[in-house]
Amino acid sequence: MATDEKDNHWKEDFPIEQLEATQVTRRDFAKFLCLVSGGLATGSGYVAVKANFFPPEKVQGEHLVCKKSELPKGGTRSFVITGSTIPYILIRLETDEFRAYEQKCTHLSCAVFYMPKSGKIECPCHDGWFDALTGEVLAGPPPRPLPRLEVVIKGEDIYVKEFETNAANPFNTSST
Amino acid sequence: MSNFREAQNQAHPNKTSTLMLALIVILIMNVSLQIWLLYTALNNALAENTDIAFPAFIASFVLFLIGAGWLYFLPNQVRRKNINF
Ligand code: FES
Repeated sequence: MATDEKDNHWKEDFPIEQLEATQVTRRDFAKFLCLVSGGLATGSGYVAVKANFFPPEKVQGEHLVCKKSELPKGGTRSFVITGSTIPYILIRLETDEFRAYEQKCTHLSCAVFYMPKSGKIECPCHDGWFDALTGEVLAGPPPRPLPRLEVVIKGEDIYVKEFETNAANPFNTSST
Repeated sequence: MSNFREAQNQAHPNKTSTLMLALIVILIMNVSLQIWLLYTALNNALAENTDIAFPAFIASFVLFLIGAGWLYFLPNQVRRKNINF
């Protein structure tokens, strides 16, 4: 070897050949899988703690959105509730019913839109569809119905408040 | 000097491979199960169905412990005895 006269002790201290150093050994891969496993267990723990001890905040009280006359039939209006950043959408259906939902798709949080005259809410991102009457998923990838607010009409004013789901069956949001 | 273990390893070099493969396959299966558990727990928790979150965490944690204990059976690195530069 050309470098034989030089001090080669470092090779004894670090006896790994270049080729080996760039390869992931199966041992390392197995250990890495174990690390991922630990990470997933931690994630599950986080979900469990969050779900059991820190439930999402409820909307407190009633909030004025707008006047009835400002919203034609088939029209929609986006709004936020003071003190929160969640976007909501208020829909006046062609049947003159009012509905309010979170304007965030339950799939990947894209903004959803009411498709006029169809009675459906569309998420353009991955072609997800919701029922405008109930918020239920009709088609596409969203896994859960849209979170809903209760609409209260007082004379000419439209208010929203927390929607009370059927406690016995949280998945059933169709009952009004 | 050669001992029994070394002689065995030299006579059957495939044994380590088989063991390694089994280990990795089991670990991958554990991780897949955990991904599924996490996905399910999260979706249910977001749908305000929180009952499943805690059992899912327990199951996930047990799977992790199994995986970690499983690493005990990792075959030793085959050490090159004589390093000649
Ligand atoms: S974000 Fe709405 S369908 Fe994917």
